Amino acid sequence: MRPDKLKFFVIFFVTVFVLFFAGTATAREKVVIFHAGSLTVPFAKMEKVFEAAHPDIDILREAGGSTKMARMISELHKPADIMASADFAVIDKTLIPQYATWNIRFATNQIVLCYTENSQFADQINPDNWYDILARKEVVWGHSDPNLDPCGYRSLMVLQLAEKFYKRPGLYDRLIANRPQKNIRGKSVELVSLLKTGNMDYAWEYLSVAVQHELKYVSLDSHINLGDYNYDAFYKQAMVKVTGNKPGTWTTRTGKSCTYGLTMIRDGANAKGAEQFLAYLLDPDGGLKVLSEMGQPPFIPAWVPSDEIKAVLPDKVAQWVDVRQ
Amino acid sequence: MKVEPFLWLMISCSLLIIAFILIPLFEMVAQPTAAAMAETFQDADVLRSILFSLSTAAAAAVISFVLGTPFAYLLARRTFPGKKIMESVVDLPIMIPHPVVGIALLSIAGRNHWIGQYLQAMGITLMGTATGIIAVMTFVGIPFYINTVKAGFESIPVRAENVARSLGASRSGAFFRVTFPLAWRSMVVGMIMCMARGISEFGAIVIVAYHPMVASVMIYERFTAYGIKYSQPVAVWLILICLFLFLLLRFFSIQPKSTT
Repeated sequence: MRPDKLKFFVIFFVTVFVLFFAGTATAREKVVIFHAGSLTVPFAKMEKVFEAAHPDIDILREAGGSTKMARMISELHKPADIMASADFAVIDKTLIPQYATWNIRFATNQIVLCYTENSQFADQINPDNWYDILARKEVVWGHSDPNLDPCGYRSLMVLQLAEKFYKRPGLYDRLIANRPQKNIRGKSVELVSLLKTGNMDYAWEYLSVAVQHELKYVSLDSHINLGDYNYDAFYKQAMVKVTGNKPGTWTTRTGKSCTYGLTMIRDGANAKGAEQFLAYLLDPDGGLKVLSEMGQPPFIPAWVPSDEIKAVLPDKVAQWVDVRQ
Repeated sequence: MKVEPFLWLMISCSLLIIAFILIPLFEMVAQPTAAAMAETFQDADVLRSILFSLSTAAAAAVISFVLGTPFAYLLARRTFPGKKIMESVVDLPIMIPHPVVGIALLSIAGRNHWIGQYLQAMGITLMGTATGIIAVMTFVGIPFYINTVKAGFESIPVRAENVARSLGASRSGAFFRVTFPLAWRSMVVGMIMCMARGISEFGAIVIVAYHPMVASVMIYERFTAYGIKYSQPVAVWLILICLFLFLLLRFFSIQPKSTT
């Protein structure tokens, strides 16, 4: 090999090795958080604030549809310390009792219809005519997969409730008939890029997602937006069939207000760091404030449904949690 | 017997790599029960998605063949300013993160971009269509085709073409009567590589088209909705069917006896 070639070869390899060690050598404690896709923006902010205050702790977040993230823990045994779900029921169903003990309700959300200024009929749509516009042939609208993402079945519930609330029999079927299957995505956040690139006109999202992604949105009446637990009796009328435990089987999801839940995974690698982060997250002046700034109303204080559950919470966490029925 | 350290180094590295590839895959293939495999095979959705993966990947391979062959020939035979840059551009799709590919394709195909407006006027949409999936697969697969075929062309001596031309063949005549018969095997291998890359693609496809479902998206959907027990048989069928097809193709395109 000629000397200059050899020199290049040596420099190349040294660079590759330096990159290798630069990437692998970190000594900070790691706290792994799995969370709903809709929590990505506020959790990223919380991560920044928390890490600035605790430089010894490295928060590692992984976002996805809540059902999928829970399965990552229960089936693939992917190590995690904290799981935050867009539907608290996912934690009850998939993680308790084997992987977790308790389930704190910490935030709410509501469903809105998002669009951009380039969407067709963007200048006409309002809370009273949205369902007529979504029924127009040329309008492209979508929602996330009800089988994978709570936002998906919640979007369908909104349509069913609208049929009841506006007393328009057949509205739900008429709307679904104008929503080809290709307009469905795995998780609702993926629809945002379809809106922004002009591939889709309207998409059902959580209010928080609309605010964080600076989308225009139509707010809906409290009777149908699944955002207010005072209307749970009305929400109960909505029923969506989703896939069950194996292909070809089905279960029914019944409408109720959007309630976010979080838990600590038992046998997580870093329980101490996880407790510290949760203590920050549930602090009304800490994480909960970040949530409300980003369009997602938190429960202040966060709550659990019984005294027995509060009794098993770690002390640092319990100080911010109430008991509510 | 004399132990040759260098030989042992080669052998142990090779075994390590083979084990690294095969052990996890074997674990995967061995886990589903025969009953689960049979049940999955009767699932029309699964078969449709595997077939759909194969056909869209094949379409991408054909596009790569048609457009990529002249390009590969140009790169193999000519030197021109900017050639190194062009070769790097061809390699770009290999290193771009997959979701970025999906978002990039969607953003030129949407109504907010003039190309998208033009495409939509012609009735072409990428979002949620087979066209979109083929576009993604071509994007990620074409570097493998071009690089393979370029190497194939380079291994054929220019002299052979020159002889044909000196005997009166036109440039295209020399290509079709001399170069092509010598290089077609590399094209088959390139198409296999391109197809294989297309079938394995997930990240970009799930952004461009969740429905209609290709096999990789269905495996993800099955995993998310039902768990590993129901996603694994789909994956195993995909692996088995692809392995069979690719072995078949390689077998038929085997070099009779190397003359180089």
